[in-house]
Amino acid sequence: MTRARVRTLLQWALCVWLVLVILGAFFYAPSALGFKGESARIVFFHVPQAWVAVLAFCVNLVASLRYLRTRDALDDARAAAAARLGLVFSVLATVTGSLFANVMWNSFWNWDPREVSIVILLLIYAAYFALREAVPDEERRASLSAAYAVLAFVTMPFLVFVVPRIYWSLHPDTIIGATGKLKLQMDSRMLQVLLGSLVGFTGLFCWLYTLEVRLARVRLARAGREEA
Amino acid sequence: MRASTLLSESVAVLGKELTSELRSRVALNAVGLFGLTTLIAVAYQIGPYRIQEQDRPHLLAALLWVILFFAATSGLSRVFVKEEDARTAKTLRLAARPLAVLAGKFLFNLILLSALYAFIVPLYCALMGYSVQGIASLALLLACGAVALSATSTMVAAIIARASGSTTLFAILSVPLVLPLLVMLIQGTRAAAGSTAIAAVLPALRGIVSLGGATLIISVYLFPVVWHD
Amino acid sequence: MSAVSVEFQSVGKRFGNRGVLAAVSGTLQRGRVLVVAGPNGAGKSTLLNILAGLLRPSRGEVVYREGDSPLPRAHWFERLGMAAPDMSVYEELSALENLRFFARLRGLHLDSQAMQGLLEELGLASKEQSRAVGTYSSGMKQRVKLAQAVLHEPAVLLLDEPSSNLDESGHAVVAGLVARFRERAAVAVATNDPREMAWADARIDLAL
Repeated sequence: MTRARVRTLLQWALCVWLVLVILGAFFYAPSALGFKGESARIVFFHVPQAWVAVLAFCVNLVASLRYLRTRDALDDARAAAAARLGLVFSVLATVTGSLFANVMWNSFWNWDPREVSIVILLLIYAAYFALREAVPDEERRASLSAAYAVLAFVTMPFLVFVVPRIYWSLHPDTIIGATGKLKLQMDSRMLQVLLGSLVGFTGLFCWLYTLEVRLARVRLARAGREEA
Repeated sequence: MRASTLLSESVAVLGKELTSELRSRVALNAVGLFGLTTLIAVAYQIGPYRIQEQDRPHLLAALLWVILFFAATSGLSRVFVKEEDARTAKTLRLAARPLAVLAGKFLFNLILLSALYAFIVPLYCALMGYSVQGIASLALLLACGAVALSATSTMVAAIIARASGSTTLFAILSVPLVLPLLVMLIQGTRAAAGSTAIAAVLPALRGIVSLGGATLIISVYLFPVVWHD
Repeated sequence: MSAVSVEFQSVGKRFGNRGVLAAVSGTLQRGRVLVVAGPNGAGKSTLLNILAGLLRPSRGEVVYREGDSPLPRAHWFERLGMAAPDMSVYEELSALENLRFFARLRGLHLDSQAMQGLLEELGLASKEQSRAVGTYSSGMKQRVKLAQAVLHEPAVLLLDEPSSNLDESGHAVVAGLVARFRERAAVAVATNDPREMAWADARIDLAL
């Protein structure tokens, strides 16, 4: 089977998977106790979006570190692609989180530490692109933004683990508790849909990321031919 | 093999920074005046009597760090931007090893921040009626906070100096990195104000020291890349 | 210090889609002055920055050798002195303070007399040496820049338009400096001044 065929198959499989996740979120998973109405169903979208925002940040870090070692323009393109997707998913996570907050606590924004954490991640992505826009020289742009990405990553553990531990949070209990142990208290069907959604959104990120990197590769090859 | 040591070069860079600053006083004036202006505006509008008693611990701690951070951003980026503006960056690049430049400029920013804290914090406490029970805890927080803030700001200043060098870009890049630090500093200050025990500020202090330490370590790796690219 | 030579093979530079330096090859070695000539925008300064290790070439490579052994890039700057229009000294400091600072950075134990002597040799009178460089004329600043470039007796000396802002006496001082360093260092001069081109033992002409 050719690579193109495998790619097409995987894309269709992803599409079907995501449709199943959406259907599962609304029809298969039961309502959650302790939440207003059906508002808890947003968790099947909000949590994977936040997960992908963080995953994209990690991919951006790896690509940035690679660029600093290899100075290959494709690694810079990979880092930028991951950051673009990370920005989109952190916006989505912020919006879905706000919608949930409005339903639950009648306020779109409560300055909850976890809300603040995802916004800080969004600010980091925005700053990353502001830096890239400010540097016209491609090589310098790549190395400065790679350096910033690595520096920004240092704050990640504090955003995700330390700050929420210092402050009491409105945010529903996370899957990983304060002691670091897994706290899986979800209904099994809810958990199936959540895990399925995590896989689906991860697949969506991988697909979009691959598309961006392929496009970057074509652009770089064309620029190389023009130079020659 | 270089005839100079990293320590001697770092001291030379720090000495040059201090001499230049004492003669021009650009960063000192910027930081001092911004801090004073903001403090006066806050003290005039809010003062010691307009905050409800139950809100005082949160608000006073938060306002203090807003003033300090706002003042600091006006001057912390200068340490590298002035090298690019004055065209001395290339000369320095050829003469000094990168880590000496980083160490010298980090220490300069640390001294600048310390001067700002020494100036603003007592004034703030007087003008806002902010009584702090744990003075030793607060001093420890200020010291550790200065190290962490200086580490982050120096590295960001090095990056933006090689970009457009604008203060706006410095603010955009440093705010997301400094926010977790500010959150921990505000919480620690609140705890220090309410208790003499060092244990009260330990959670925040641990976070601040870890963040500052991690930033310093990663800067040792990143700075030569930024400086020479 | 052993003699240092610099070889560059097919060195070129592009900034995005803009080519600023086409493939250039050559050698810098002790005993001869290499002049890099060409009109404005031909890439003279870019080539010197690449040779200094301040800019990465888009293609080609630069190799420093001390004797027969290649020198790692980390050690290039110790052996290098450079003066260029986009390199300044600290204007809040005096000429002597500038030299003292650069001497400390390079681990040189030079007394004030030696530094004063160097500045005088480059045409900066002793009564001017303690004034802040910011108060100097452009010609005086150029002399201080040249002083910091040669303070540590570099094995490789790169001069970009060294006589710019200098009068006839200043040009003569620079000519003397180049003649002195010809026998001690690998010297390259980037210029479009016919008087400076006359120093060439070897020449590279860059075109737009």
